[in-house]
Amino acid sequence: MRAFLANRLALVGALVTAIVLAGVAAGPWLSPYSPTDADFLALLDPPSLHHPFGTDSFGRDVLTRILYGARVSLAVSVCGVLVGALVGTAAGLVAAYFGGWWQAVLMRLSDLLFSFPSFVLALFLMVVLGFGVTNIAVAIALIYAPIFARLARNMAVLVKDEPWVQAASLMGQSTWSIISREILPNIAAPVFVQIALAIAFGIVIEAGLSFLGLGVQPPNPSLGSIMADGREYFGRAPWVLTLSGVAISIALLGLNLLSDGVRDLMDPKLRARL
Amino acid sequence: MARMISIGRVSSRLGGVALLALLGSATVFFVMRAGSGDPAIAVLGEQATPEAIAAFHRKWMLDDPLVLQFWRWLSSAVMGDFGLSMTVAGGTPIMKLIASRLPNTLFIGLYAVLIAVVVSLIAGTLSALRHGKFTDTAATSLAVLGISMPDFWLSYVLVYTLALGLGIFPSYGFTPPAESIAGALYSGFLPALAIAAPMAAAFTRILRTALLETLYRDHVRVARSLGYRDAFVFVHFVLRNALIPYVTVIGLQVRYLLGGTVVVERIFGIPGVGALMVDGAFGRDYPLVQACALTFLLSVLLVNFAVDLVCAALNPRSA
Repeated sequence: MRAFLANRLALVGALVTAIVLAGVAAGPWLSPYSPTDADFLALLDPPSLHHPFGTDSFGRDVLTRILYGARVSLAVSVCGVLVGALVGTAAGLVAAYFGGWWQAVLMRLSDLLFSFPSFVLALFLMVVLGFGVTNIAVAIALIYAPIFARLARNMAVLVKDEPWVQAASLMGQSTWSIISREILPNIAAPVFVQIALAIAFGIVIEAGLSFLGLGVQPPNPSLGSIMADGREYFGRAPWVLTLSGVAISIALLGLNLLSDGVRDLMDPKLRARL
Repeated sequence: MARMISIGRVSSRLGGVALLALLGSATVFFVMRAGSGDPAIAVLGEQATPEAIAAFHRKWMLDDPLVLQFWRWLSSAVMGDFGLSMTVAGGTPIMKLIASRLPNTLFIGLYAVLIAVVVSLIAGTLSALRHGKFTDTAATSLAVLGISMPDFWLSYVLVYTLALGLGIFPSYGFTPPAESIAGALYSGFLPALAIAAPMAAAFTRILRTALLETLYRDHVRVARSLGYRDAFVFVHFVLRNALIPYVTVIGLQVRYLLGGTVVVERIFGIPGVGALMVDGAFGRDYPLVQACALTFLLSVLLVNFAVDLVCAALNPRSA
């Protein structure tokens, strides 16, 4: 923990992430406006005291929409990534522990999914599953499951032959308890780093899909759909696109710094040098 | 150098590429068919009469067993025939659409890689050599910013500042490289830069780490103590070792890069495969989406194959 506090970048990342999370959680209480109700007396108002981030073409408060939109974006990304991490890590652990054909099939499958441009895969899945919020989360889960499977498998293969794991098996621990109590804690840190990175990229995928109009459908806000909206009248009201873009960047910055910092902390070679 | 790559390795890697391509085609085909929705309704509309739907199914032979459909599709796809588009211009051959657009996508992709490589070679080397100094801090902070800037958002920043603000570059439209290379380089600069920025950031970071890891190794110290010039030691003993992880990461990033073209092509109005795929997605043009997905898959597989060969050439140990 002391090492964590000493790593300034990780600290800044954790702080930014915490602020983003707090803003997203407190969104409905922070703002007196509705994210979807139009106000035709305040169309495309520039930033002011009443509307710190201005209003959009329906007179909706942009800050409110960003707070609600970040909620949707984050929820979609977090749900998708967590499901992908859970399924993928479990599959990878089983593959590493038991080996055999299951491992071969799993690794070929992850090779295949690794060879698709991830955004193309997301687009393809959206066509197959249908456009909409839930399906973005499903697509993100499907994109990330093989990444976690490969990560978990590669780490677990290294840990599996360690003496303490063999000791546990000699002492008659069940397979389940060896996997969950001996192997899992030892691969948890890299999985955590990957989760933070994946959530950041999941936000990008959601925003990209919604930006194209394939994701969250209007009038519901998400970071991507607000940007798509702002693109329409960028010349007259640049604040809509700009501020929602800045919001995305801040969220990504926090997550990237956090995962970077944690990774540095785990790398003993780097830690010695710092 | 070429000697070091054995023919056996090349052919076994090619076999892997072919296997993955086959597996990919099957996955794309069956997942597409398992998905929701009847293409007939997507193309003809919700109000289509049962007769019209039946006729549509007959026309595209959608009622045959799936395995037979797959075989028919695969055997003609291997011959370069992806069938007809269901939406674009009432049945243009998909191959023709892709063939006319793939050069644009590959051009933008290659252009972006080039920008990212040039920027990262300079930034990565500088920040490793000036480790801990101002240049290093500046380059690393810029790299973190670059990663936090999704390409479609950066596109608008670039359009707003360089195109609309300063008027140096066009904000929309693209001259295909087939017409004029100079025009393509000029009109493709902003989209390529938008895709390249996050890549450049990732490449810079990996190069910096790899250089820092090799700079203080024993063989480098020995070379220096033998009196070789700094520049010579750097190029031959440090950079060459550091290039292996660097090139590997470039290969890994290719899939993000090609994914990035999808959105950026839409924003800048570039007629590429990504924009084609988005059009196909909106029109539920299954054969078109399928063919685009496969085109992207094949591009990634071939690039990774090439990267593998380059890595083997750089690293005699892995040959």
